[in-house]
Amino acid sequence: MLSLSAIRQRYGSRLVLSLDQFEASAGEHWLVLGASGSGKTTLLNLAAGLLRATEGSVRAAGEDLGRLGEAALDRWRGRHVGIVPQKLHLVASLTVAQNLALAPWLAGLPPGAARAAKLLAALGLADKAGARPAQLSHGQAQRLALARAVMNRPALLLADEPTSNLDDAACAAALDLLQAQARDCGATLLVATHDRRARERFEKVLQL
Amino acid sequence: MNLAAMSLAYLRARPLGASLNVVLLALGVATITVLLLASRQLEQRMHGDARGIDLVVGAKGSPMQLVLSAVFHIDVPPGNIPVPEATKLAAHRSVKQAIPMALGDSYQGFRIVGTTHDYPAHYGAKLGAGRLWQGPMEAVLGAEVARASRLAPGARIVGAHGLGGGAGAEDLHDDAPYDVVGVLAPTGTVIDRLVLTAVESVWEVHGTGGEPEEYQELTALLLRYASPLAAATLPRQVNANPQLQAGSPAYESARLFRMVGTGVEVLQGFGVVLMLAAGLSVFIALTNALEERRRDLAVMRMLGAGRGKLFGLLVLEGVLLAALGVALGLALGHAATAATGVLLEARQQGPLSGLLWLAEEWWIVGGALLVGLAAALAPGWRAYRTDLAGVLAEG
Repeated sequence: MLSLSAIRQRYGSRLVLSLDQFEASAGEHWLVLGASGSGKTTLLNLAAGLLRATEGSVRAAGEDLGRLGEAALDRWRGRHVGIVPQKLHLVASLTVAQNLALAPWLAGLPPGAARAAKLLAALGLADKAGARPAQLSHGQAQRLALARAVMNRPALLLADEPTSNLDDAACAAALDLLQAQARDCGATLLVATHDRRARERFEKVLQL
Repeated sequence: MNLAAMSLAYLRARPLGASLNVVLLALGVATITVLLLASRQLEQRMHGDARGIDLVVGAKGSPMQLVLSAVFHIDVPPGNIPVPEATKLAAHRSVKQAIPMALGDSYQGFRIVGTTHDYPAHYGAKLGAGRLWQGPMEAVLGAEVARASRLAPGARIVGAHGLGGGAGAEDLHDDAPYDVVGVLAPTGTVIDRLVLTAVESVWEVHGTGGEPEEYQELTALLLRYASPLAAATLPRQVNANPQLQAGSPAYESARLFRMVGTGVEVLQGFGVVLMLAAGLSVFIALTNALEERRRDLAVMRMLGAGRGKLFGLLVLEGVLLAALGVALGLALGHAATAATGVLLEARQQGPLSGLLWLAEEWWIVGGALLVGLAAALAPGWRAYRTDLAGVLAEG
């Protein structure tokens, strides 16, 4: 499902990630654990096709990402990858419902209004559909980012530091939601974090 | 969700900046629209008023003043000419038709013109009510005069001395009232704003009615040539007469348009500069908006947006701003023209309509949309080159 081989990722002359081999099968839940600057986000960006590998190869959801052109890579990402960025990156000028509708629209998929409604209800945001992201609490905003990420039923779900600044209960709830949604989609889940509290929830861990 | 909804959502998110750009663009469009509508209608009006009149003959002085006073009725005549000279000229073999004109008085600011039935016939005027004058001291009102004064056949009017005086002026000709016997249907020409009567009426009002015709005077003669050759010879012959002056409406109005036209062109140029400034402002606004939205655009690419979609989003935003600006500008331009028309009408200066749509206005629409499109191209290109991971990492 996801395979990274002989990765040597550099920013200029600085090596930010060195990874000989990483394989994740369909439906597996992986924790990518490491300190700040260890290359966790870089790994997720490579897996999502947001970054091109400077050395090595990335295969995901049946594609060799290095062989895809920019337009094809964008299209592939929209259809196969769901991302929950660390800073959530919700679009401030759009409502909750519009933020959610963005995902299928930008990926060129049917609107999926029923799925959006179901997700909002499942994540406790049904009454916030008309609200702007600025009107949401951090937890609500995080759930919206998760809903947006799984809206298109991705094969690969990536979450970057989803538990930072959360207390233990909120941390557990966030990871529960992520894993539940990944299971619901049958997605391979990669959660990058430096938070050791997440360790016990994952059988598969990649230490960077 | 679609491109238009996204663009509108972004415009709504920064209402002040978007409104200012729209207003700036609208001002440029409105300026050009007003100038275009006003100059085109003035030109059409002058052409209509002067149509079929080859030469105006009056007293010595400025030929332009002569044409303005006798054809367009917007200036005072340079003087009068003796009837015998006018009669001699009317009988000239180069003259097909000569329409006499005697000016001097007005009614509520509308000029009273002593003339013959040939004058309304020249403009194809039809009677809206009543009949044409059959003798002295009978008057026929132009459509605009009748509308403004609310008079109908059977009414009596008193002229005031001078061409711009109104009712209540001290030098009213109380002793020589006119019987209104007819009202002309609207023609869209200068005749709508005139009170027509027999030449003899004007003589009678000014106390020369009883004198023999050889001692009488006319203000001008409107001539039609018998042949094209007359254009080369007749003006020279007229000007050789120490008492007469010839003025060509076509030449003088073209000269007037050249003089006025420079001002109109300068103002139109100003309007274009305003539009370009607005375009530049839209460009700066979109560039700034892009800076603010680099993250949003990166998020959209993260979600699978093709670069073409991002490009389309920004271009649509620019075009939407331009479309709003051009719609507002056209509405403002037409409203301002209509308001100017109302003011001019109050001064008996002739109609100016804001309801007219000129083919050239499509060029304004196209030009403004092009400005919006051009303003969006560079930011659109920059959006196309967004460094995804880098921007997303910035937060």
